[in-house]
Amino acid sequence: MRVVILGAGISGHTAALLLRRKLSKKHEVIVVSPNSLWNWIPSNIWVGVGNMKPADVTFDLPSVYKRARIEFHQAKAIEIYPEGLGDAAHPYVLVESTKESDRGQKTEIKYDYLINATGPRLNFGATPGLGPDGFTHSVCTVDHAYSTALELDKLIEEMKTGQKKTLVVGTGHGLCTCEGAAFEYIFNLEFELRQKGVRDNARLVFLTNEAELGDFGVGGLQLKSGGFVTPSKVFAESLFVEREVNWITGAHVHKIEKNRLEYETLDGERDTLDFDFAMLLPPFTGVPLKAFNKIGEDISNQLFNASGFMKVDADYTVKTYEQWAPEDWPKTYQTAYKNIFAIGIAFAPPHQISKPRKSKNGTMIAPAPPRTGMPSAIMGRIVANSIADMINGVSENPTHAASMTEIGAACVASAGANAIVGGAVSMTMYPIVPDFKTYPNVGRSLVHTTGEIGTAGHWIKKLLHYAFIYKAKALPFWWIIPE
Amino acid sequence: MSVTEAKSYPAPRPSKLTLFMRSFLPWQFVRFLVINLRMTVMIKKSHGRNIGPETPDNR
Repeated sequence: MRVVILGAGISGHTAALLLRRKLSKKHEVIVVSPNSLWNWIPSNIWVGVGNMKPADVTFDLPSVYKRARIEFHQAKAIEIYPEGLGDAAHPYVLVESTKESDRGQKTEIKYDYLINATGPRLNFGATPGLGPDGFTHSVCTVDHAYSTALELDKLIEEMKTGQKKTLVVGTGHGLCTCEGAAFEYIFNLEFELRQKGVRDNARLVFLTNEAELGDFGVGGLQLKSGGFVTPSKVFAESLFVEREVNWITGAHVHKIEKNRLEYETLDGERDTLDFDFAMLLPPFTGVPLKAFNKIGEDISNQLFNASGFMKVDADYTVKTYEQWAPEDWPKTYQTAYKNIFAIGIAFAPPHQISKPRKSKNGTMIAPAPPRTGMPSAIMGRIVANSIADMINGVSENPTHAASMTEIGAACVASAGANAIVGGAVSMTMYPIVPDFKTYPNVGRSLVHTTGEIGTAGHWIKKLLHYAFIYKAKALPFWWIIPE
Repeated sequence: MSVTEAKSYPAPRPSKLTLFMRSFLPWQFVRFLVINLRMTVMIKKSHGRNIGPETPDNR
């Protein structure tokens, strides 16, 4: 049997390594990824403030896969034929090489099982002027993060001469996700500016599509603290006030020009903000991938939703916020085709987690559900386990499940990279998607949903950085390290 | 202007003791152990579940 995995990010790479470990040598594991470098994306934040170099957060994938006996194709998938084509009834995926030596060359790769872990397409085009080709910076890829750090260096040099600067960090569109990454970046930025003695010359503004601070795209958290159950909004606002970081919430950015952006907020107000430096995250879509049936008809809309994310075993019925239920969320990540799975950012969530809102002008401002990091890796693990069992004849159906309403997440949001005076917000939440039936009023367990800030958080963040890179390199006993 | 100015916003501010404890290394070492324990519990609760072969709820 042959398992083909599209994408070598956190979820795809986890699935590939686990499958190789679980399947005997007679079975093939093939990874298709357009990049030959593996990137520990959570640490791009530190690259983006100049605290780490690109080499600290990346490594060469082909050598790791060679050692792990996983076949690697540096290519991007462009078409899936789940039923084969014509008389050739074996399913296959069409990939296009991104390698310098044979760029553009197309190859058909047959599969028995396919995992779509292609991650997001960074949709900078959603907002005119957004992104490194426009007027803002990004930390979404290691190259983006490094360019951002170089620009920041120049700005700091100017601030050292006494010039005042406005720095904006946040989301570049009303439908963005990963607000936590923007949160981390602004507090690392604030810390670095303090360390370099130019904090007084910087006005920091956090611009976010979250309706309130501390939402993080998961509808916020309720935490037990000091005898009260307190919303994360209070803790987040406290940190912003303490570090003198100003904010704009419920914002959709309409347009960005050189040193100026135009935005609209939930109350319908339209305004402009002048800036000298901006790091704004883009919204995500699925990667451009088409699907065809055996007579060559385009069946992409059966496999993918309108944003290009792959439909899995979720309930995609259109419902109001009040009708949302934990059961809407997928469990096994299997698609309508029993041998195709989608994990990580590539699967289509049934709806947002945070309450979606529209501005008075009808503009949708709704954080998309975060599904990166720990949940992505867990999806990789359970899908690998299911496929291994299906191949080994244990079952015809998936044997493992991990609904985001049944799993939790541990997040460490860096707020200053220094072992003595730095810090991070250490959070756990359970479950990720609130379940108001099991946990009335608060939606999550008050025992397992926690948060605190301190230097210990930084130590943990740094420890995780080294542990996960070690694991991803498949070095001895890598499998002991959990996702 | 919809920018909320942090300086004048009435959010709870940490006391001097809270700020000190956030970077007081012996206390942070204790917190390091506690947070790791919490995260270990979270990881144990979150590694998915084996739904076994051929159950009706598998799909």
